[in-house]
Amino acid sequence: MSSTALTHALEVPVIGPEQDFASVSATVSDLVLTRPTPLWWYVATGIAGAFLLLFVIASFATFYAGVGIWGVNIPVAWGLALANYVWWIGIASGGTFISSLFYLLGADWRNGVNRTAESLTLFAAAAAGMMPILHLGRQGLFYWLFPYSTVMGVWPQFLSPLLWDFAALLCYILNSIVFWYIGLIPDCATLRDRAQTRRQQLFYGVLALGWRGSARDWRGFKAAYLVMAGIMAPMVVSVHSIVGLDFAAGIVAGWHSTQWPPYFFIGALYSGFAVVLVLIIPLRRLYRLERIITERHLDVIAKLMLATGLLLAYCYVMEAMDPLYTGEPAKVTAFLASAFGHYGPTYWARNTLNIFIPQLLWLPAVRRNRIALCAIAIGIVSGMWLERYNFVVSALAQDYLPSEWHFYGATFWDWAILLGSAGLVLTGFLLCIRVLPVISMFEIRETIHAQRSASRTQAPANP
Amino acid sequence: MSPRSSSYGFIGEFRAPEQVAHAARELHAAGFRNWEVYGPAPIDEITHLVPTHRGRAVTIAMVVAALVGACFGYFIQYWDAVLSYPLNVGGRPLNGWPGFVPSAWEICALFTVYGGFFALLAACRLPRLYHPIFAAPHFERASQDRFFVCVPASEPLYDLERIRSLFMQYGALSTAELTQ
Repeated sequence: MSSTALTHALEVPVIGPEQDFASVSATVSDLVLTRPTPLWWYVATGIAGAFLLLFVIASFATFYAGVGIWGVNIPVAWGLALANYVWWIGIASGGTFISSLFYLLGADWRNGVNRTAESLTLFAAAAAGMMPILHLGRQGLFYWLFPYSTVMGVWPQFLSPLLWDFAALLCYILNSIVFWYIGLIPDCATLRDRAQTRRQQLFYGVLALGWRGSARDWRGFKAAYLVMAGIMAPMVVSVHSIVGLDFAAGIVAGWHSTQWPPYFFIGALYSGFAVVLVLIIPLRRLYRLERIITERHLDVIAKLMLATGLLLAYCYVMEAMDPLYTGEPAKVTAFLASAFGHYGPTYWARNTLNIFIPQLLWLPAVRRNRIALCAIAIGIVSGMWLERYNFVVSALAQDYLPSEWHFYGATFWDWAILLGSAGLVLTGFLLCIRVLPVISMFEIRETIHAQRSASRTQAPANP
Repeated sequence: MSPRSSSYGFIGEFRAPEQVAHAARELHAAGFRNWEVYGPAPIDEITHLVPTHRGRAVTIAMVVAALVGACFGYFIQYWDAVLSYPLNVGGRPLNGWPGFVPSAWEICALFTVYGGFFALLAACRLPRLYHPIFAAPHFERASQDRFFVCVPASEPLYDLERIRSLFMQYGALSTAELTQ
């Protein structure tokens, strides 16, 4: 009786009601400790590893021959590498946002997917961090961005958004590592205690740092985690807003506008939510985690994606409104060129993939259909890349002086860097799910306890 | 009741969070202060029964780290632009503070998160890969599905029989005395 009342109140419980502490510990740890490595993992890691190798080769080719092997030139000096940068950092931001903001909000569904989102963040931020360094003409001098005291006595210009960006990205990557690792400590303790071999026991034991799970330790842990989440949520907003300011502070006609920080950030969330869906839909099926990552998780993320997509649609309208309303000729030209010119197809493709098709998510049947949901999410991830590409390249190609106009086309090495960076992220993610728990076990136990307490207090009210 | 030197403490194993909460409340009412609860999840009903300032200590450490980070982040930029290499660009102020805020904030965030991490390790005395509590029977389940209450031998009111009967009264699955 009480369970039906609860089901009614919560629609569908976020975790299967038959799950308890022991079953969650066993299900999630056994994936790592006892299950033989599944065939699909070898296949996926093989493919991702091949792309990672491509990334290594393309990076060395760029170090050796210089950025001249890419399609970039004046005026389009920011090509695919910068579009990739904005795209990857956006995906990373979305992952952190799911983990931190929805922790602060106390959303119960967050605990099933935060580990996936955080692992994704880690590798997406690493891929993003590679892009500006590869893009520097003289990669070996990247450390000039650090405020260190040179013999020449010169310092970086701290008033430039490009330097804010350097500080933001560096601090963000370093913070993501700790935010991800601190959540792993209690789970590594579970793996240590369930280890089948001495080697596993040592490996997870060292990672767990001797975690004992005493109430005093948990009090410290919760306090640290709460403040960290409270810092990480505004931090991702600032990181991607600063990426937007990189462009807004430029004098290029198509970029010089104050609207980019929110525009970039909303796009970042959108791509982050979509990538998390693309990863968890196959993951829950291949690892048989349907009782822990339930339909409710997919439904909530799909609804969030829809809401973020509507925010983005508003941004897209403002993107057109700003130049057309001001009527400044160079801005109007730049906008019309991006929408109807040489790069026009990418503009309409991104509108279709990011705005028009995701409207299908209004239909509950589409949200429940995992293949359709996955396809829409893949479309959004691609659409977001097209948005970044169109934004970066088109404005540079057609700036103030028509005599300077020149179109950019990516070369093999440009594409190799893009595909290779995807290989880097996927390889990292696959290694992560093979050796570390894919689900944050201690937080799922908290959710189970909360679900039980709620059903118990509801029982007398609904006899 | 002088603590025996060879004994680390007395431990009881429980299945349900409610049983642990009852046993813990009873211990507290009886005047015990150094007892500890171990469990697989941070369940507030239990962790908040333990008298400790550890949560507040970690939070304060993080606030201090945040302030230090913000000041440090701002100071690097101030040092550069005002003290070390003042550069007059069209008469603009050397200390252009609005432009220094973003980097200072990022460095503040960095200090806060790392400060919190190291404060947590220090407060919990980690890393410490071995601890006498790990020798307790079934203690590997403290990270999976069981709860343990331990009264250390250093507790002034330490009395084996009294603690054992209290644990059994609240449904302990097993009890044991731990050696150092």
